[in-house]
Amino acid sequence: MSGRSGHPLLRLVGWRLLQLPLILLVIYTITFVLAWLIPGNPLEQPEGRRPPEEIVQAMEARYDLDDPMGFYVDYLGGITGYDWIASGGQGSVIDFGPSLRHENWTVNEILSSQLPVSIVLGLSAIMLACVIGLLAGILGALRPGSWIDVLTLLIALVGISLPAFVTGTFLLVVFAVSMGLFPVGGWGDASHIVLPAVALSLPFAAYIARLVRTGMLEELRSDHVRTARAKGLPERVVVFKHALKNAFLPVLSYLGPATAAAMTGSFVVEKVFAVPGIGTHFVDAVLGKDITLITGVVLVYSTLLVLLNLVVDVLYHWADPRIQMG
Amino acid sequence: MSRQLPLILLLPVLLLVVVWFDDPGPRSDFTWSTTSDVFTLDPQRMSYLEDMRVGSALYEGLVRFDPQRNGFDPGAARSWTTSDDGLTWTFHLREDGRWSNGRPVTAHDFAWSWMRLLTPDTAASYSGLFLPIDGARKTWAARNEDLERFAATEFESRMQRTEEARRLWRRHEERFKSDVGIEVVDDSTFRVRLEHPVPWLLDLVAFTPAAPVYRPAVEGWPDDAGDGPPWFEAEVPDWNDRTFVRIDDDSGRLFQDHRWARAGRLIGNGPYTLAAWRYKRDLRLEASPTWRDADSIACRTITKLTIEDPNTAVLAFESGAVDWLNGINVDYRVDMIRQQESGDRNDIHVVPAFATDFFSFNCRPALAGGADNPFADAAIRRAFALAVDRETIVRHVTRLNEPVATALVPVGSIPGYEPPAGLGYDVERARDELASAGWSDRDGDGLVEDPAGDLFPVTTLLYTTNTPRFKRMAIALREQWESALGVRIELVGKESKFYRNDLREGDFMIARGTWYGDFGDPTTFLDLCRTGDGNNTRMFSDPGIDADLDAAALERDPDRRFELLEDIERRLFTRHLPMIPICQVVDVHMYDPTRVTGLSDHPRQVQRLWNVDVRDDPIGGSEP
Repeated sequence: MSGRSGHPLLRLVGWRLLQLPLILLVIYTITFVLAWLIPGNPLEQPEGRRPPEEIVQAMEARYDLDDPMGFYVDYLGGITGYDWIASGGQGSVIDFGPSLRHENWTVNEILSSQLPVSIVLGLSAIMLACVIGLLAGILGALRPGSWIDVLTLLIALVGISLPAFVTGTFLLVVFAVSMGLFPVGGWGDASHIVLPAVALSLPFAAYIARLVRTGMLEELRSDHVRTARAKGLPERVVVFKHALKNAFLPVLSYLGPATAAAMTGSFVVEKVFAVPGIGTHFVDAVLGKDITLITGVVLVYSTLLVLLNLVVDVLYHWADPRIQMG
Repeated sequence: MSRQLPLILLLPVLLLVVVWFDDPGPRSDFTWSTTSDVFTLDPQRMSYLEDMRVGSALYEGLVRFDPQRNGFDPGAARSWTTSDDGLTWTFHLREDGRWSNGRPVTAHDFAWSWMRLLTPDTAASYSGLFLPIDGARKTWAARNEDLERFAATEFESRMQRTEEARRLWRRHEERFKSDVGIEVVDDSTFRVRLEHPVPWLLDLVAFTPAAPVYRPAVEGWPDDAGDGPPWFEAEVPDWNDRTFVRIDDDSGRLFQDHRWARAGRLIGNGPYTLAAWRYKRDLRLEASPTWRDADSIACRTITKLTIEDPNTAVLAFESGAVDWLNGINVDYRVDMIRQQESGDRNDIHVVPAFATDFFSFNCRPALAGGADNPFADAAIRRAFALAVDRETIVRHVTRLNEPVATALVPVGSIPGYEPPAGLGYDVERARDELASAGWSDRDGDGLVEDPAGDLFPVTTLLYTTNTPRFKRMAIALREQWESALGVRIELVGKESKFYRNDLREGDFMIARGTWYGDFGDPTTFLDLCRTGDGNNTRMFSDPGIDADLDAAALERDPDRRFELLEDIERRLFTRHLPMIPICQVVDVHMYDPTRVTGLSDHPRQVQRLWNVDVRDDPIGGSEP
């Protein structure tokens, strides 16, 4: 299979990158149509008040809202970089245009100020989830049925089933308001990250713990582990080197979409902890019919998802060369 | 494992570095928090209360609201006069008015800013309030016609197109100067001529959309050194040299980029300057050294945070990170109010807003599906109104004890205006009204029928689902109407965009509604009942009411005018009932009155941030 046209890994990467623009175009089209179908008007006032008709018309004309096809095509020119090339390199290469609701800002500015926040928070949460999940999973698998196993199982159950607005509020009330250890909300220094990262990590940690536990139980019963033990290797080496390496593979494939999900922010966690990330736009921009902002966040999310899945596939290949790539 | 360890450690270190550079900055003298970020800092484009509140700190209009007296104070103008016919208003600007770059504030600044407000290209949502200025409506229409014609014209070259678009803009500017009743008498005298008297003109003049902006900053003029001639005497730079405005070739419209309204670029004439603004994070104001009364500002720095989750906002207040919260919308606010009433806490403040909650009737002759609309008959509307027990709703349903309302204008919100009493709770009369319209319980099954024996149509009650408040109100009303009138009610809850759509298309029978008044005059509410008004989603129409509203607009004697308006409101809410007013809206605030002073209870939530003071040590101390 391999060797026909270059390294299989390179072929995989190249092929996926070629697919990306096509995927994004389809997603853009679907997003655009759905966003346009939201009833109402992004320029609408609170409580549904309506300025005089002549002013409504002036507003719609200003933002091209009276012409969906024109909007679709013009906007495509901005986000593909065509406008940038056509104008001889003026403005941003990829231009998501102005936010229709927050007219003081362009979507590019919103994304560039908020995406780093979501990425930092998401990566922190995923790292935390890996640490908690691995520890809990290994401990549980080593003594199945023991109180440690039951406890980690319980915590995992709570982590998966309790919604973030419950765990988040609980963390806030205990650690921020009562104990005063962390600020209630906002963003700025390391102390702001702790509580939201914990809240965001819990469901991921719980899932990882379950994956690791199941994988470890299976591995610990397998032939190669029995051989390793028979050889007289210390238990530490058996568990971490021989069992965990294989038990970690399902976690690795889960980490791709999980990291994308964590990095593009959680609507609830960002709301509860007043974190200025992009997660809130997935809901707020839709409610406000902010077409340009919706498109911006959806395309960024899609790109991240595709790229992270690719990274996971590459890591997979590196971790287990037996796996065929196609 | 040891090979990968440095790599694994690198990630947390990188994260820490990123966070390190994201400096939260020092705590301000005063911090308040709101659930949404400011939408724009361009005063002409503002339409949200919070935008205008920040706007009033950054800019200063000719006059200022005085929240304590519910009246007006001098602002950029030190005095003003009105002609006898009420059509001409002359404002005398104060000599010491300065922009934050040190330049004097002149009548030219106001003239240019008001032109901006009254130009279709700006698409300012509150322009409509200013169209009574003489010639404004005509000039607006002329500009629109020009633009339409331009869009339909074919040009031979791009260059020609650009030329024509710019020529049309010049024509608009010239027309505005010659035809619109806005006049620069001299650098410190500004005159406004109206088409018809507008008794609430000072309200409009004090409104943030009428605040001035500094043209060279807004248009991004290349160089505005402090020693050159003032902008209105200097030559206007070429279009290509103005960073933030251009004439769009395709539409011919003036395109305005709002990036001038950023920290470091924004130039205002108000008590504060914009020190920082980070989207959905925080906005920081600093006392302006060039403001007329700079020394009197108590809080030198102010921060407005954006905390979208209402519960988190309350927790932030409890933790001391926030000094003032408004618009508190958590479910347990009722319990906090009870604690306040019993003396267990002192930081909850229930303030009546300039708004009324009501339920609208669809007054169109037919429903959206084509069926006959029973609510086209005023007797049936009266019957439904008479069957509403408002006291029960505010005590046991909303539990906020809002002042109940039987008419639309909030009681006590406009000095000199006494809103009349509308139809109150009277089940007997309600049944009589319904019977007079032909509906009564003929077969004793508890439901009303018409003479032919057909049941009263199932009535849909449309509410919005964004807060539980309206669902609870709707459930209570269903209960009250079903038991008092023998009708069947079906609840329909919709997300607010779908709800608005239904309202606009007349696809409802009864629907919830709330109206916030814009200016201190009853007409800001009563115009909702005018035929053809854009916000008259009920499509209520009565020629007598329209004629009397027109007559009242021409009345010169203010007392007599209010009498006329009171009479209109009385007829609307005893006879016509286009909607059933339920209660005045209240706003719940949190601040510790022993620490924070200078916040007002003004019905339109006008706050003078520059009068706010925060003490480090509370008066009388507080328990830990």
